[in-house]
Amino acid sequence: MIFRSAFVTFAVMAMTVSPFAQEKAGTPAAAPLAAATGNAQRGKVLFETSLRCYACHGFDAQTGSPRLVPMSRAEDVFLAYVRKPATQGMPSFVAQPEADLRDVYAYIRSIPQAAPNADTIPLIKKVLDRRAKAN
Amino acid sequence: MADTHDSSGPRDPAEAGHGSLDRRDFFKGAALGAAGLVVGGTSASAEAPPVQPLPSVELPTLAHDLAYAMPAQASGPPPARAATQGRPASDFMVDVIKKIGFEYAAINPGSTFQGLHESLLNYGNNSAPELLTCLHEEAAVAMAHGYAKAAGKPMLVVVHGTVGLLHSSMALFQAWADRVPVFLIVGHNRNPSGVINRPHSAQDMGLLVRSFVKYDDEATTLERFAESAMRAYRIAVTPPMGPVVITVAAELQESIVNDVPRIPELTIPAPPQGDATAVREAARMLVNAQTPLIQIAKLGRTPKAWDLLIELAEALQAPVDVMGYSSWQKFPSWHPLYGTGGRGYTPDVTLGLEVTDMSVQARAARANGRKTISISAEYLFQGSNIHDFGRYSDVDLAIAADAEDTLPSLIDEVRKQTTAERKSAIQARGTQVAAAHKEIQLNGIRDARHGWDASPVSVPRLVAELSDQIANDDWAIVSGHQFTGDWQRRLLNHDKPYRYNGDCGGFGIGYDSPASVGGALAHKKFGRLSVAIVGDGDLNFSPGVIWTAAHHKIPLLFVVHNNRAYQAEVMIIQRMCGVRGRGNQNAHIGNVITDPNINYAQMAKAYGMYSEGPIENPKDLAGAYQRALAKVRAGEPALIDVISQPR
Repeated sequence: MIFRSAFVTFAVMAMTVSPFAQEKAGTPAAAPLAAATGNAQRGKVLFETSLRCYACHGFDAQTGSPRLVPMSRAEDVFLAYVRKPATQGMPSFVAQPEADLRDVYAYIRSIPQAAPNADTIPLIKKVLDRRAKAN
Repeated sequence: MADTHDSSGPRDPAEAGHGSLDRRDFFKGAALGAAGLVVGGTSASAEAPPVQPLPSVELPTLAHDLAYAMPAQASGPPPARAATQGRPASDFMVDVIKKIGFEYAAINPGSTFQGLHESLLNYGNNSAPELLTCLHEEAAVAMAHGYAKAAGKPMLVVVHGTVGLLHSSMALFQAWADRVPVFLIVGHNRNPSGVINRPHSAQDMGLLVRSFVKYDDEATTLERFAESAMRAYRIAVTPPMGPVVITVAAELQESIVNDVPRIPELTIPAPPQGDATAVREAARMLVNAQTPLIQIAKLGRTPKAWDLLIELAEALQAPVDVMGYSSWQKFPSWHPLYGTGGRGYTPDVTLGLEVTDMSVQARAARANGRKTISISAEYLFQGSNIHDFGRYSDVDLAIAADAEDTLPSLIDEVRKQTTAERKSAIQARGTQVAAAHKEIQLNGIRDARHGWDASPVSVPRLVAELSDQIANDDWAIVSGHQFTGDWQRRLLNHDKPYRYNGDCGGFGIGYDSPASVGGALAHKKFGRLSVAIVGDGDLNFSPGVIWTAAHHKIPLLFVVHNNRAYQAEVMIIQRMCGVRGRGNQNAHIGNVITDPNINYAQMAKAYGMYSEGPIENPKDLAGAYQRALAKVRAGEPALIDVISQPR
């Protein structure tokens, strides 16, 4: 894995997870979203195989960056975004059939939208306690 | 590799020993062997005497190799063994090496340094330096790279002419880009006599790597060797540090000498300190800044930089940005001032300490009426073919000096110039910054909850489980952070200068695994628990280092972050596919490492290392870590293969 240019290096660094990026991605939607129209099961296959969304966003859409759950975009807004992303790191899926993108959206919406509270996970709680004691 | 390296054998056929055969003997032996097989085939007869079975095909002998590699010998008695008349010159080279004080010499064998190799073993008693058997020269140099950062001094590496040096070249480049000293000796067949050795000769051996070493020389006499070795070491450890190469002809190593030259003393120059007037001005700018920021990169040649940086940061109550992967990160990760100041903190004065390229900061500052200061030894040594020094940085104040050794005078000046009024403002800033950092750091830890129970295992879960297991150990992370995001910094308190050994420097894969073994070797004598989280892509560049760690009993836990891909490239190619509107369906080709999947636990077992995995269920991690760490605490290396999320 040789980074061939400074541009690529910075692009990849920008795509790595940071607390700031996560705060932004985790902002919940202001209003409830309409139900997804696609096939979530088919969307999962597309997400993990042919479209390989997992590469940046994680296999469950929440371990990468940015996290896709909770999903804050309405379906049509999502489709418009993935066809013409606003960020340089996100590939454009302009040529992908609309049905595929709706299925992917349905899969993302099918994932439990809320992660557990950190304080309920003993191991994370221990790290938090250690950090709190550090200063 | 070893088969081509060693095949020329001793230079003097007489040294082949009693078992040597010439070509004629070889064929005679083969014929006898064949005859033996025939006899053996009819030995069912009760009268036939027992016959010792011979192999059906005679294995090549040293004599066979010599006949292939060396010119035909004239008939007559072999030349007298000159070794009895004096002392091997390579013994003197070992004296020089010992005087420099190397603890270890990483090697992959080769006939161009057989003289030195033999002297290190039988004259030097394989002690100080002790030889480390490496299975690839890139691994040998990368081990030396990791060792130097953890031990604070260079390791010796010895490699074969041309082929060995070319194999080492990538790792030399990484050491160069990371400003880390490595001392390499390359053997050279100045007058090659056989078909194999001819390609191991070069008109200018050092030229092969001159673009990314700080100094190279060919020692043509013993006196020159001694002086050049001392000079090379001195240059390597003088800031900005870097790798050095000494070429030594096989003929010189193997010559016999009666008198040897004096070995000069090794004198290391004191690093340059910043000009007093410039340091005073830097202090003035920092003390009067409203929102100063300290940025660090290759700061921390010695552990004292750790304490000095804390002292400066606390005197200014300024946040310390350890920057990206190119930093040695010599600042505690859970310190109140660790960070960039929090949301909305825009530095009006940025101080760069050994930051190679400050052009981005300088341009942004000039465009917005802010100021930048750079203290770096980089100003004293530039002009390499490798442009890692970046673009021209028009900082407001540039100080050509070693930042570490300039810190004491800078701290003094900051204290002198801090009035009571400024002190109060500085303290208020510090309180604000600390609160912002604490919130960011706690949120950063809380983020580990996302995908906590996911399979493949999330990277934060992989690190958090590890952090829990080593919380009561004196641990050291000897791999880089490049492929684990910043989870190690978030979940583990880097509260000692040796907690983290830095990344590769040159952003080329293949560093982490061997450098981790080198780092672990340096920590071994201090009883520190070394841990490396290495990518599967990285491990595949030099898997033989697993054997080296097992063979030399270097205690180290390897955790393989096995995402079965060159993950950054998956993302990059996907993006390119998207930009060109051609779909993502082929983006994995050339980037993923699947079909078949590689089992790194089995690989480690094959190399003789304790291992577990592949682990896909995060709930299995704790037990696996416990068992593997028990091995490491007992002095052995171990490996855990974790099937992980992409990043």
